[in-house]
Amino acid sequence: MSWQVHLPALLLAVPLLGAFLAPLTALGGKGLRNTWFVLVSAAFTVIAFLLWTRVGSTGTAIYVMGGQGWNLALPSGMSIPVRILMEVDAFSAFMVLLSAVAALAGALFSIAFMDRFSGLEKFVALYFLMVTGMFGMEITGDFFNFFVFLEISSVASFGLVAFWRDRGEALEAAFKYMLVSTLGALMVLVAVAFLYSKYNVVNMATLGKVIEWGMVEKTALVLFLTALAMKCGAVPMHMWMPDAYAEAPAGVTCALIAVSQASLYGLFRVTYTIFGAFMGSPVIPWVIIVLGVLSMFIGVSMAVIQKEVGRLIAYHSVSQVGYMLLGFGVGLLALSDARAMAEYGFTALKGGIYHIVNYTMYKGLLFLSAGALYYATGCRNLNDMGGLGRKMPKTMVLFMIAAAAIAGLPPFNGFVSKLYLYESTFAVHPILAVFAMVTSVLTLASFVKIFQTAFLGPALKKFENVREVPGTMLIGMSVLGVAILALSLFPTWSVNHLVEPAAKALVDQASYVGAVFAASLTGGGL
Amino acid sequence: MWDQILTGFGYWDVYAWISFFLIAGGMVFLIRSLGRKDYKQGSDQDEIFFGSNPVPEDGEDLKVPASSAYWGYTQALKPFYDVLVGFHTGIATDYAGWYILVTALVALLILL
Repeated sequence: MSWQVHLPALLLAVPLLGAFLAPLTALGGKGLRNTWFVLVSAAFTVIAFLLWTRVGSTGTAIYVMGGQGWNLALPSGMSIPVRILMEVDAFSAFMVLLSAVAALAGALFSIAFMDRFSGLEKFVALYFLMVTGMFGMEITGDFFNFFVFLEISSVASFGLVAFWRDRGEALEAAFKYMLVSTLGALMVLVAVAFLYSKYNVVNMATLGKVIEWGMVEKTALVLFLTALAMKCGAVPMHMWMPDAYAEAPAGVTCALIAVSQASLYGLFRVTYTIFGAFMGSPVIPWVIIVLGVLSMFIGVSMAVIQKEVGRLIAYHSVSQVGYMLLGFGVGLLALSDARAMAEYGFTALKGGIYHIVNYTMYKGLLFLSAGALYYATGCRNLNDMGGLGRKMPKTMVLFMIAAAAIAGLPPFNGFVSKLYLYESTFAVHPILAVFAMVTSVLTLASFVKIFQTAFLGPALKKFENVREVPGTMLIGMSVLGVAILALSLFPTWSVNHLVEPAAKALVDQASYVGAVFAASLTGGGL
Repeated sequence: MWDQILTGFGYWDVYAWISFFLIAGGMVFLIRSLGRKDYKQGSDQDEIFFGSNPVPEDGEDLKVPASSAYWGYTQALKPFYDVLVGFHTGIATDYAGWYILVTALVALLILL
């Protein structure tokens, strides 16, 4: 038996240990704390990579905590005792890998970025707690644990958004985020309770096997849908997002993007894996499509008129989430029709999943670039900036890469995922593709605005002493910059190894359900 | 790894685009190399033309601020932006209200 069977448990244990020991490492001074921050981040990234490769080669991984054995999914005569069951299929492994890369980049960037502030042992502890919650959401195989991990990541995020507590805006943003997030989490819990009251289980695979299409299930689905759509920033429930993303320290925002993607993951796990083709109505797919179109267009329209870098980029997060919702919504619409799935549904789904990869990488880099500008100049407002390209050429190049990618300029990776989305959504209705393209044009316009006003233009006297940001911040940004270039230069590899396995796993409900039942019979999940 | 991406409707070839950019870049350098070689750095030829006025020393007096960007666009769409900005009140209870409203609306659509 290979030690790698324990990778799902290690993925949660390592950042959790990192969080609990962070205050102790601070006793050894700044150097030890920073080393711990980097080591733990590197460790969970390696674990995420190993898990992704293992799932790719051996199939869905099952891991049970709190049961009779790590590989016994459904013991005791097929009843479902209380336990933490983790199920990692290709879609989960894909999400975990992306989240880990974003969290690593955020950690590397934060070392120098946060150096001038106190209380960093709390920062590191909260950061790792947030990462633990995020990974937990992505690999858990049961709904109650999903709720618990959602709460862990949310509560840690509230603390991190309010970390600069001398700023009233940061406290206000954290409060608003806490209010809507707690309301959403409560609805998730009520949805879980609805399903538990009828089926006496919270296990996702079991629910996927027995679920019907009645009033209880519909109510639970609505509660899940709106709560998770709100957590990932869908319009008109997006308003917490620009506040929180703009006020959180830049490294945290980079990881928060991955946290919001974990909610998106939850949304699609519910709609595709639990309900899937049994959903007897096109209403839910169309609701997701409409939320996607609204998010794309309203998000980007608000971004164009922003003057603060962080808020501008945050509104783009809303807009980019819209692309993903659109792709997944079209995929869901075609799920029960094999012909539609073959013609455009699977392409839309691939576009949505590819956009998750791209979004996590370039949006993370954009927030880190905005953080670099703030670190070097102390300014958040674009009106106060100018001519910084001369002083910060490396930051400028990295920003250009991310901006070109998010705007979907060929040959960058953003273009490929948008191409999938344009062509597949056009098959459903041309207006969807028109909205997607107009959004892309406005995206380009707003990033040209940042580039022109922050980096170009005449040199300003007040920035005479501005220098390029420290090396560790550049390394953090470069991790994402290199990932964007790799995704751009090798799109076929990205599609074949990252996107398609995840898309196939998402639509293959039988395989996800079957993995748990096979593990219960054979006693082996890996 | 080197193949084209097929979308089901068309294809994407990143290397064709990179070749295009390399050729276009080469042409830009070619045109630039045809420029005058007797340009004198540091002389009046270097001076910025600022409407025949002296160039301000601080770039602050020269730059175009972000708030001036896309002025025509935002003016043309002012009614749309008035509604859109008004919708973003920044009030916490509104945030919760929109969430409840969407939940109720989706529930109506799916349950009825």
